[in-house]
Amino acid sequence: MADAEAASASEIETLFDDVDTDTARLQRYEVDGRTPRAAIKADTSGEIEHAQAQATSQNVAVIPIGGRTMLDLGMPPSRYDLALDLTGLNRVVEYEPDDFTITVEAGMTLADLQRHLAVNGQFLPLDHPRFERATLGGICAVGRGGLRRNSFGGPRDWLIGMRMVKADGTPFKGGGRVVKNVSGYDLPKLFAGSLGTLGIIVELTFKLRPQPASDQIVAVNAPSLEAAMAAAHAAAQAAPFLNGCVVLSPDAAADARGLGAKILHDQPSLLLRANGLESAASEVLSQALNAVRQTGLDGPERTTSAIVETWQAVADLELQTDSRHVRLRVGLPPANLGTAQRILSQQLPDASSWIVAADSGLMFLEVASIDAETIDALRRQLGPLQGRLTVETAPTELKQTINVWGPAGRGARLMHNIKREFDPQSLLNPGRYVDGI
Amino acid sequence: MKTSTPMVQALIDAIGEQAVVWHDDDLLVYEYDGTIDRGNPDVIALPANTDDVVNLIKVANKYDAPVTPRGAGTGLSGGALAVKGGVIIGMNRMRNILNVDAENKTALVQPGVVNLDLGAEAERHGLAYAPDPSSQRACTIGGNVAENAGGPHTLAWGTTTNHVLALELVTADGEVQWIGHETRDEPGYDLVGCVVGSEGTVGIVTQVLVRLVPRPTAVRTMLAVYDSVRQASNAVSAVVASGIVPAALEMIDKMTIAAVEPVLNTGFPLDAEAVLLVEVDGPESQVEAEGARVEGILNRFEPREVRSATDPEEREHLWAGRKGAIGALGQIMPNYYLLDGVVPRTKLPDVLDGVYEIAERYRLPVANMFHAGDGNLHPCLLFDELEPGATERVLDAGGEIMRLCVEAGGAITGEHGVGLEKRDYLPWIFTEADMDTMKSLRAAFGPTENFNPCKIFPKGHGCGEAGHQHAQHQIAKFGPKAFV
Repeated sequence: MADAEAASASEIETLFDDVDTDTARLQRYEVDGRTPRAAIKADTSGEIEHAQAQATSQNVAVIPIGGRTMLDLGMPPSRYDLALDLTGLNRVVEYEPDDFTITVEAGMTLADLQRHLAVNGQFLPLDHPRFERATLGGICAVGRGGLRRNSFGGPRDWLIGMRMVKADGTPFKGGGRVVKNVSGYDLPKLFAGSLGTLGIIVELTFKLRPQPASDQIVAVNAPSLEAAMAAAHAAAQAAPFLNGCVVLSPDAAADARGLGAKILHDQPSLLLRANGLESAASEVLSQALNAVRQTGLDGPERTTSAIVETWQAVADLELQTDSRHVRLRVGLPPANLGTAQRILSQQLPDASSWIVAADSGLMFLEVASIDAETIDALRRQLGPLQGRLTVETAPTELKQTINVWGPAGRGARLMHNIKREFDPQSLLNPGRYVDGI
Repeated sequence: MKTSTPMVQALIDAIGEQAVVWHDDDLLVYEYDGTIDRGNPDVIALPANTDDVVNLIKVANKYDAPVTPRGAGTGLSGGALAVKGGVIIGMNRMRNILNVDAENKTALVQPGVVNLDLGAEAERHGLAYAPDPSSQRACTIGGNVAENAGGPHTLAWGTTTNHVLALELVTADGEVQWIGHETRDEPGYDLVGCVVGSEGTVGIVTQVLVRLVPRPTAVRTMLAVYDSVRQASNAVSAVVASGIVPAALEMIDKMTIAAVEPVLNTGFPLDAEAVLLVEVDGPESQVEAEGARVEGILNRFEPREVRSATDPEEREHLWAGRKGAIGALGQIMPNYYLLDGVVPRTKLPDVLDGVYEIAERYRLPVANMFHAGDGNLHPCLLFDELEPGATERVLDAGGEIMRLCVEAGGAITGEHGVGLEKRDYLPWIFTEADMDTMKSLRAAFGPTENFNPCKIFPKGHGCGEAGHQHAQHQIAKFGPKAFV
């Protein structure tokens, strides 16, 4: 079967065991308007190995699927025959609390993992939208730090080991189960952020953190988004040990409230989070608030004990975009956020739902529509600020006309080489990644 | 005096006579790093900038000569040894801190910058560079990147890979690539994550953008003295399990104290079996409260005493005994073999018992000074290489200790790298498929076969198996696989 585009559902059915070709059920695996011809729900690494060996030998294009929270990310796939659903792989493989490490299967959700760890007063320091659904395999495949990445880093910084299956079905691993390890190349880092283009992530080992004795959160209103950002920047500079420092535009604040956030009004808001021992968290927060006051913000401080709910609601905003709209993500050095925000609001006067992690150099915003020229122009203007703009979600028709990732830079040649080594037939998530990978 | 070869002449033409070292006597200096093995380079080239590196690599490629990158030569896995001869590219002349951006907490440095110098420059801006290997007075950032170096303070902050944001790399085919991004927002694969820890086998790093971290407002260092290693290692496990993440948690045993004390006068009691160094940092109130809690835990394991220092000078004094430990071991025996096993932290007490048992069986004195909080052991076997059979005994014992770590669910190296020294042991933790995949990653970086050859992976054409009989011994004894 040289031309896999022609692989019909019935042909695929003969290639795999337990394959699902029910058209209605396959809708749930849609990516950018494209539905696979079949789906397999794998429960073991062996099933994945078998499926991949078969897929590669028969030239079947595969998209690995987790909690389906970030499927909008990336370019539309150039081919999509088979959805490989990994949500059945959701077991804890090994957990020794006193080692502060855990090994889990890739289909486990972040929320399930956190519940498991909370029993022992531990947690995995990653923020991710819709953590009730998002799987750890998916979170690591996307590979990004969240709103608190200044304090916590990203998945790469917590992964210490990984088991994967290559495109051709060969199982392999990298790293191990110890917190410090330089034995061999760091394959888990290569896979973190590779968006399923190099292999199927099967099992992950993380190092963990103890839950802080005290976690505190404060919201302050600001007269404008700009004033809130200036105050946030001052807070982050004055209190470098802040755990989180986020600014929301009025509409974003209102949406977050709708999602369960406390202490937010329909006004530009600044949200500060600090943790550690109680006295230390208070000390950091008061340093930050002093700096905020000095920028002229004088509204009352509001606080809540519903910290996790409030923070998660803000994190969830990333995925609240109207499917007809476009959500942009900009990452850049924190000191350049103000300038970048001015450029963006000039070029995109209707931009809304701003979320800015001031200490982390991260900004999300939404627009009703955008065209390729505007995106290129923005990238040209943000480039000197070391800004990188990603189109996170957009209607498929628009995605077909733009580059959602932006230019791959000078590392592109190496990235193509890596892809060729790991997936020479380009069957894993083809076309969705950077530079056509 | 030997005459110059065409390749030496070509290297001189490329970067100037002053920057090329090729006389036999001068080459001797480059035969060693911090390990037992040695290698004989044909020539040393000392580039002043990225263009020089590109030109050197092109010359080496033209003559099909192996290329071995080298920093300060403090490595502990044989990574900088020119095992197959060829050109050593020494990065020591590229030693400028190009920029510190205090607001965004980053620094751009050349690879030859000494770790401690970067730390001092960061301090002038109220910041710190977290990875602090014990060789930090000499070792370079380029070498730290190659080995993914750690150090006592990586317990809280992570190793070098957590602190490198972007870098300039000259690949084996002489191409210059900037990879990574100030805030890790460059779209695409984490190439920086692949290069850090690749032990100079995929290219030469010519500039590094590192992350700096805020300096804590308060620091407290505690020293707890124990009458048994068991008590001390149980105290370590209890501190880790308590949920406190100390800035550092180090153990030093009796043999180390015996070496350190007469030279450095750190005040470690000579008859103690083990001392722990525990450091907590952060805001003032945090340090006070956490310090008290740690002290409480240390006291549960019946220490002889617990001392505490917050004054920078006193703290420095306590640390001197840890950071100067390796150098001081020369007091006891002329040679040492330093291991780098890592185990799950709950396994620490049992594995330490095993280390002492193995050392005793091989009739070797062993000193332990290590990153207990990370489960990263550094047993240091002491010997005299002039004594017949001593080196072989040391290498055999070393293999057995590594095996012990692997069987406890650990790994063969936590921060020193696999290098030449441990490459034959890699199959103890990785299958053929694992290693083949790693090799395919290396291949993606270009024609890398001649780039730091004979490192990380077992075997390899022309790498000379004879020098590694000890490894073959151990592998024959235990079988090729353990935790794969």
